[in-house]
Amino acid sequence: MRTPLSTLPGRIGTATAVILLVAWSLGPIYWSLVTSLTPPLHLLGTPSLWPQQISFEHYAKLFGATSMSQGNAVQSVWPQFSAALTNSLITSGLATIVTVAIAAFGAYAFVRLEFPGRDLLFVAVVATLAIPAYTVMIPLYRLMISLKLIDTYTGITLIYVSAFLPLALWLMRSVYQAMPISLEEAAWLDGAGRVYTLVYIVLPLSAPGLIASAILTFLNAWGQFMVPLVFSPTLATKPLTVLIPEFVTRNYIDFGLMNAAGILAIIPPVLLVLFLNRYLVSGLMAGATK
Amino acid sequence: MPSSYPRRNRTRGELALAAALVIPIVVVMGGLVFWPLATSVVDSFYRIDPMKPGTPFVGLANYGALFADSNVQTAWLNTFAYVAMAVVLETIGGLGAALLLNRVKHGRQWLLAITVLPWCLPPVVNAIVWMWIFNPSYGLLNHALLWLGVIDARKVWFNDQATALFLISLVHVWRMMPLTAVILLAALQSIPRDLYEAARLDGAGPIKSFRLVTLPLISSGLAIALSQSTVFAFNLFDEAWILSGSSLDTRSVIIQVYLTAFQNLRFSSGMALSILAMLASLLVSLIYVLRVYRETRYD
Repeated sequence: MRTPLSTLPGRIGTATAVILLVAWSLGPIYWSLVTSLTPPLHLLGTPSLWPQQISFEHYAKLFGATSMSQGNAVQSVWPQFSAALTNSLITSGLATIVTVAIAAFGAYAFVRLEFPGRDLLFVAVVATLAIPAYTVMIPLYRLMISLKLIDTYTGITLIYVSAFLPLALWLMRSVYQAMPISLEEAAWLDGAGRVYTLVYIVLPLSAPGLIASAILTFLNAWGQFMVPLVFSPTLATKPLTVLIPEFVTRNYIDFGLMNAAGILAIIPPVLLVLFLNRYLVSGLMAGATK
Repeated sequence: MPSSYPRRNRTRGELALAAALVIPIVVVMGGLVFWPLATSVVDSFYRIDPMKPGTPFVGLANYGALFADSNVQTAWLNTFAYVAMAVVLETIGGLGAALLLNRVKHGRQWLLAITVLPWCLPPVVNAIVWMWIFNPSYGLLNHALLWLGVIDARKVWFNDQATALFLISLVHVWRMMPLTAVILLAALQSIPRDLYEAARLDGAGPIKSFRLVTLPLISSGLAIALSQSTVFAFNLFDEAWILSGSSLDTRSVIIQVYLTAFQNLRFSSGMALSILAMLASLLVSLIYVLRVYRETRYD
């Protein structure tokens, strides 16, 4: 049987399309990596598609105590960079843990327990996915000021949780709905309580769903820009996404430094895609189609 | 035996457990989403401005002032341009990528990972990477086009409004297309293989079977993808802000909200505009969903 795939023109067409898709998706990232490894002076010449000479100068500016710039020793940006990196890790990590915990337990109630207003509450929470974050940001700003939570990990984490909880809740509900109740019934017959069954039987079986929710929440939090732009004015909680664009100085834009910092900032997402892509894609599919 | 203890106690226990599990959700969503949303709506009818004394009720005055403001009008036009370009490009590109992924047999997981990657990166980093590519003096784009002979002098891309809007949309499309592709791939994978077999036996070629089998069966996925692209393009902020800041040429409605509220501190005006933007994006999404459902109901 000859399908379009097995004919020669079909194969060439598919191969070309694959190459185009890969170039489109990875090209800009590759270019950023090359830029971050190119010596500063070479950046001002004709670009070449692979580095003529590899230099770690831009990374040294990020990590070193001092670095050389146009013959002068300058203070490195390591203090700011390390603070922002820590802030990004802490806020994204906290947001992920809290969101997934609330969603994992809450979604169980929406699937297996009966209580008044159950469906209404679920629909209301999931409907907020369609409400853009900025619609609530101005009142939230005044609320956070009155609670003295501006520029605190607690404040940022709470905002992230409220923004990313609906998606995690939706995912976890679809996971529990697909799980046969007979497993839980067997445990109840043996005298196990609801909570014991949830923690020791349901949650371990839901590991793929939990991982998917955690990845989606982490990526969303890691990439956030507008929320910390408003709620993280100082390095006390400022994340990488807000710090990196500030490398634009009055005189010039240090593209080598920005690309190097950008490459470091994409390491966590790249690792997640490399090792946990299966869960990520299943989460995206479930979140988008159920 | 499951009924060894009275049913009433069990129900009461379930209610208590449900309350314990659901209360965190009610507190977080109520306090940080529903209450601020309601406040936004109510306060948009008052004048709330830290620079001015009192908070008088002004009715629709905030909304009226928005319609008269020429900066706001420009921001709306820019946003519509972003939405139109982003939705069209993401849908075409996403559908192409999904069809390709559905067809590739070897290494599909790797191709999928590569395709999804741009969506996973911080939008700010994406914008910086592309800003360097668009750089007028040293950027890759100018050099490549010069080398290919498409242009004969370096261009300052962001000097021209239409080009600037297109390039910002392109960066946004680079990030969001994977989402469309994944949604459509999920829809494609749910089509039973024998339908294509049947279409082929009836003499349908690849184009006809795409139109008669694929398109109707992925229409609900397409509606979801379209409304996702629309809502995200309406919310475009990061890319435009990094690539050209508060420039009026590329200012989106959300940038206008940010400037109004957090730089000029005209809170109530910002809230009124943010509510209009929310309604607009919801309305457009609703139109897709209704149209797609109506057009595919015939079978």
